[in-house]
Amino acid sequence: MEMTAQEKQQQERNKEWRDELRKSVPNKDRVSIERVKMTEVAPEERIKSQNIEVNCGLTPEQAQREASRCLDCANPTCIEGCPVSIDIPRFVKCIEAGKFLDAAATLKEFSALPAVCGRVCPQEKQCEIKCFYAQKMKKDPVAIGYLERFAADYERESGKIQIPEVASKNGIKVAAIGSGPASLSFAGDMIKLGYEVTVFEALHEIGGVLKYGIPEFRLPNSIVDVELENLKNMGVRFEKNFVVGRTASFDDLKELGYECFFIGSGAGLPNFMNIPGENLNGVMSSNEYLTRVNLMAANQDDSDTPVLLGKRVAVVGGGNTAMDAVRTAKRLGAEKAMLIYRRSREEMPARVEEVKHAEEEGVEFHNLANPIEYLADDDGRVAKVRLQRMKLGEPDASGRRRPVPIEGAIDELDIDLAIVAIGVSPNPLIPACLSGLKMTRWHTIEVNEETMQSTIPEFFAGGDIVRGGATVILAMGDGRRAAANMHKYLSEKHAEKKG
Amino acid sequence: MADLKTRFFGLELNNPIIVASSGLTDKPESVKEFSELGAGAIVLKSVFEEEVINEYNQIAQSKSSAHFEEFIDYFDYKIRDQVLANYGKLIKEAKSNSQVPVIASINCVSAGDWLQFASQVQDAGADAIELNLLVLPSDLERNAANNHQFYLDAVKEVLRAVKIPVSVKISNYFSDLACICKELANEGVAGITMFNRFSTPDIDIDKEKVVQAGALSSPDEHLTALRWVGLLSSRINCPIAASSGIHDSRQVIKMLLAGADAVQIASAFYKNGKPYLKELLKGLENWMDKKGYASLGQFKGKLSLEKVANPAIYERAQFLSHFGGYS
Amino acid sequence: MNKIVEKKQLSENVVKFVVEAPMIAKSRKPGNFVILRIGSKGERIPLTIVDSDIERGTITLIVQNVGVSSGKLCQLNEGDEITDLVGPLGKATHIHQAGTVLALGGGVGIAPLYPIVEAMKKAGNRVITVLAARNKDLLILEEEMRQWSDEVIVMTDDGSYGRKGLVTEGAEEVIKREKVDECIAIGPAIMMKFCALLTKKYDIPTQVSLNTIMVDGTGMCGACRVTVNGETKFTCVDGPEFNAHQIDFDEMLKRLQAYKREEDQARNEKK
Repeated sequence: MEMTAQEKQQQERNKEWRDELRKSVPNKDRVSIERVKMTEVAPEERIKSQNIEVNCGLTPEQAQREASRCLDCANPTCIEGCPVSIDIPRFVKCIEAGKFLDAAATLKEFSALPAVCGRVCPQEKQCEIKCFYAQKMKKDPVAIGYLERFAADYERESGKIQIPEVASKNGIKVAAIGSGPASLSFAGDMIKLGYEVTVFEALHEIGGVLKYGIPEFRLPNSIVDVELENLKNMGVRFEKNFVVGRTASFDDLKELGYECFFIGSGAGLPNFMNIPGENLNGVMSSNEYLTRVNLMAANQDDSDTPVLLGKRVAVVGGGNTAMDAVRTAKRLGAEKAMLIYRRSREEMPARVEEVKHAEEEGVEFHNLANPIEYLADDDGRVAKVRLQRMKLGEPDASGRRRPVPIEGAIDELDIDLAIVAIGVSPNPLIPACLSGLKMTRWHTIEVNEETMQSTIPEFFAGGDIVRGGATVILAMGDGRRAAANMHKYLSEKHAEKKG
Repeated sequence: MADLKTRFFGLELNNPIIVASSGLTDKPESVKEFSELGAGAIVLKSVFEEEVINEYNQIAQSKSSAHFEEFIDYFDYKIRDQVLANYGKLIKEAKSNSQVPVIASINCVSAGDWLQFASQVQDAGADAIELNLLVLPSDLERNAANNHQFYLDAVKEVLRAVKIPVSVKISNYFSDLACICKELANEGVAGITMFNRFSTPDIDIDKEKVVQAGALSSPDEHLTALRWVGLLSSRINCPIAASSGIHDSRQVIKMLLAGADAVQIASAFYKNGKPYLKELLKGLENWMDKKGYASLGQFKGKLSLEKVANPAIYERAQFLSHFGGYS
Repeated sequence: MNKIVEKKQLSENVVKFVVEAPMIAKSRKPGNFVILRIGSKGERIPLTIVDSDIERGTITLIVQNVGVSSGKLCQLNEGDEITDLVGPLGKATHIHQAGTVLALGGGVGIAPLYPIVEAMKKAGNRVITVLAARNKDLLILEEEMRQWSDEVIVMTDDGSYGRKGLVTEGAEEVIKREKVDECIAIGPAIMMKFCALLTKKYDIPTQVSLNTIMVDGTGMCGACRVTVNGETKFTCVDGPEFNAHQIDFDEMLKRLQAYKREEDQARNEKK
């Protein structure tokens, strides 16, 4: 019988090297170390370009010192916070012991894209908030995110990237729709199990939100490309410019021999507020703005794609997408890059680090304000946004205090560009091709939460198309779970055939 | 045959009997029925901002975790879009089933939301909008000036944004009722309906529970509207409709004599069925024939404040002298 | 990859390409379009699929040189590759037997009109086609249209070919002389607006195919949004064809100008 994850974790913890490492430094010394400060490019420097990554990464010395803060708890609570249950103490202790490549290998047992997650996961809401330091000692948690990034970057930069073992080919063809984090991690697992895997992508670049959504200064495309190379080296095939359901139907693909499908087509549908003036020139969705800049490099002179540049840019929203948009606007030369969010600063869903970086970069926060209308100049271009000032009322069912309008408190801001970043919804193209696919009222695909299987047995799904706009790590967890269960489903199906 | 034409909602109506916003006007089939029975106009069931909030709470409860904060953050807008899309559908279907004007009724809490609701409802094809201004002054922190401001802001926002006529339906909880009516009229509303009804709490002493009192109005309630229609109709420059407690054609006629341009009725149809509309119209026509009136204009407002012989009777709050007469 | 197998200059600024795209050729229906890119820095631009040959595995595209991207495409030659090509996108035209169909094509809009005319004729309709161009040199696909129309009327602004006048004049003549069951108009946005106003007068159901700005073409970004019947629709997934009488043309015309300043600048810089 295979061990459970928990048993495996305990087994690793009980190994001699771990025991010795714990004993090598007394806990009271460990806890006296301050949490490491990430070196960051200075704000004035980094806003000059879209392509300067803000966080510089830890040095090996910094990483080992930070890793030594970890107490290697007998019952690690950090793992509970991780959506893919990474054996965090194991990789952290590898770092402390100087076994950086082992740390990377550990990460890759659980996560297909650790260099990505180390940069974009909201650790403050996941693993780090569950850290013993935060929970019991009310101190800064171990910087798990920084350490994950360190290990992944170290492996990549060392050139000693481990290509995991790939089982012998079983001749069964499976397809993934969309090439974002959900599909990539699905593909990574299935190829290891010996399947023939093809990932179909509608756009001309592979990577989904990792490429078109998250800007260079947070997640360089080169990092994503390394992960994609690894997958190609393992044998995953990528088909760009292919809209499944249009370029070829699912039936066509079945005729070509594909037996099972993973739908990871994402939340590529912009949400608008449907307030008057929203269709004026100069008001666009964050998807459009970020795609023009991140995917089409519209901000660069040699790119043919234009992007509207603004001097006074207003971004509506409070999540990571809104932060990405407003910080991009700043880098593209906005004199005033403003964020308009209807709740308070503390309640913004964006990663704490992004908010801090944005503040340092000079983004103006207009909290407790909500647009109710956009007004145009004589040329039909947006020139003003009318804002309703809000105050915080009673908590709603999510526990957060509801924003309540202050009567009569309506202001106007002069703007020349507005970006609506209030969230995204599932793109309806793929579900529309599959009659019999059960959808929720909000157009996400309904799946069995354990197996990720949809109401059509040969179709599995995960990521934003199932959850609505969520995080990279959740998408990856879905991809892995879908792979494990699709493998089970196909194994049973083929065993039946033989039997 | 008497001419029953009148003007309200910025529109010419065949007669002054308007079916008020209620559960009777929430389906295209009901609207069709009222239209065929000869209603002057039909106000659709109200769309409430509260519907959006309640649904949002339901969803937020099922998806409450740190992972979904960004997804949930503006989810109320999605719900609002769906609620308004459904209402838009109702408006379209009601309109295609009706020969008489179909009025959309909206009910919001903030100026910005009024704006959005109103624009979308106009786009769906409503003939006019009724703003249901329904704030119970039970908030300890809100004074009369706040409420006053809220109503005017809402009305200003909507009037600026839509091209179709906008009327308001107000409650009688105002310390400056005459003044606010004058200001609303000056803003350019196409009519003021007085008054709407709040749901009424009652107490069941056996179960020791707070319960809802009966939802229907009682005929006595019409006297409240009667006083104010009489007091204001000739003094503010905007059409007025009377509502609450109008249960038979006699009460309809009273309102017209006091100066109302129209009446809004719901409870009477609940009690007596939709075809009662025909009886109301008949009662009005018979009285007009008996009195020799050929059109509403000939007697409308005959007994309003300025015209009546003893105007003090509208204003006298104390009835001590009346009772005093018994001592 | 997507190799160009044929190139033909139809007029000074209009070029016809036949491109290798076997899967698209097989799946496409009249009314669909593709999005393509030239070069790694290229912009994504939409083009209607004019024709296809399933056996050869090719599609036909017709492009007018009006800007940087279309200019780059027009400079390619037989044997060159189109960097990225994706399709078929958009909802297909609703082809059905309506009776008498009036097809109106303006300028390069005649190209996307062609497959619809062909399909409508094959579906058993009487098809009357009015083609309009500024002058004789800019008129395209006349022969091909004659093949699939019961009648073709040609209008030119300057009278250098066919009759002098606008497409709406030719259209109104047809409407006045016989019963028209359905109309389809494709051309510059302003032309479609006026065709819609004309047919509304006569209560003729009319479809137009919108040429809004697009980026991804799969419904992801909203750049192509238009207001139809009071609701926001995306041209790339809900269209490109819509009920002409429900479109807010004024808003659409304004939105077409969104990048005019940037594009003029770019064109001047490339010169």
